[in-house]
Amino acid sequence: MRADSLLPHLDAAYNLARWLTRDDHDAEDVVQEAFMRAFRYEHTLERAESGRAWLLAIVRNTCYTWLAKNRPADVVALDEESDAPAAPPESNPEVIVLQSAQAKLVNQALEELPVGYREVLVMRELEELTYKEIAEVAGIPIGTVMSRLARGRDLLKRALEKRMRRAS
Amino acid sequence: MSEEPLVARDATYYRAPEALRERLRASLAGAAREERRAYGWRLLGIGIAAAAAASITWSVALVTLAPGEPERIGEQVVTAHVRSLMAPNHLVDVTSADSHTVKPWFAGKLPFAPPVADYSQQGFELTGGRLDYIEGQPAAAITYRHRLHTVNLFVWPAKGHADAAPRTQTRQGYGLVGWVKGELRFCAISDMAPTDLVALADLVR
Repeated sequence: MRADSLLPHLDAAYNLARWLTRDDHDAEDVVQEAFMRAFRYEHTLERAESGRAWLLAIVRNTCYTWLAKNRPADVVALDEESDAPAAPPESNPEVIVLQSAQAKLVNQALEELPVGYREVLVMRELEELTYKEIAEVAGIPIGTVMSRLARGRDLLKRALEKRMRRAS
Repeated sequence: MSEEPLVARDATYYRAPEALRERLRASLAGAAREERRAYGWRLLGIGIAAAAAASITWSVALVTLAPGEPERIGEQVVTAHVRSLMAPNHLVDVTSADSHTVKPWFAGKLPFAPPVADYSQQGFELTGGRLDYIEGQPAAAITYRHRLHTVNLFVWPAKGHADAAPRTQTRQGYGLVGWVKGELRFCAISDMAPTDLVALADLVR
């Protein structure tokens, strides 16, 4: 019964796995493995505040293990320290360009972000997790969650601008 | 700083394929069966050991093992909530964001009138209602949406319980808030933190 209570979170689990592996088939494999792990560690679920965040932490760990084995190039440490500070506010024309950006371009740009930025954006904007939940799932401080979100949004915007320019 | 919802607005939300859901349901059921079998053997072992002990141990054990009321109700509420989310189309029997549609729907189906109101302005959007079953009696299940979260608010007769202020608990990762008011018992449940549900409890009360 307890493990059944995880099934309502299946879409959230799959969405995260799909964005981290960037492949339908691999996402299915990872989710299946994650659910089996979740079932084994079920006794730790009682202490969790949110069942969804608890499951997503397991899905994320399973994804990272899978990536390390199958696509080690994807798991790179983020160079947050030396990364340039966020760009000054963009001028209006670019904002307008961005607003007309198509979903396809956003998907492509998001897929190409380093996984550390991609995952916080997916958890925050698609899953609507709180900063605290993201910090727990990703095992990083809340401050880092916020700076990665800001940096991730910034990188995404730049990547989109580049694509829009190329397309026009 | 305002968030720019580029991802929220334009990125794809990938839903799990139905085949995966079916596969997981089957393998989880299998795993649970294994678990129960192992548990059964353990119980048998404990039973044999205990039978050798004095009978007084038994009565003490039985008293300790009887679950408390909040636990029992919490468990039933979690089960009902999960069931409502698992079966397609089981979440609502009457779909409406209009309290004047949902409230009369319950009339004649229940021996009491649950309070039904829409709290969209405060972030809890009424989505419908259905009949459910808690503590061996018919209950109203009123459903709300809070951002992406589905909330079930169960209401059933309090059977002589005095009014009680909201109390939160977390069970199997779900947040619950229960209270008693005007001879009705209420319990709201969702996958949000229980503290977020207290806002709904305050609105309903």
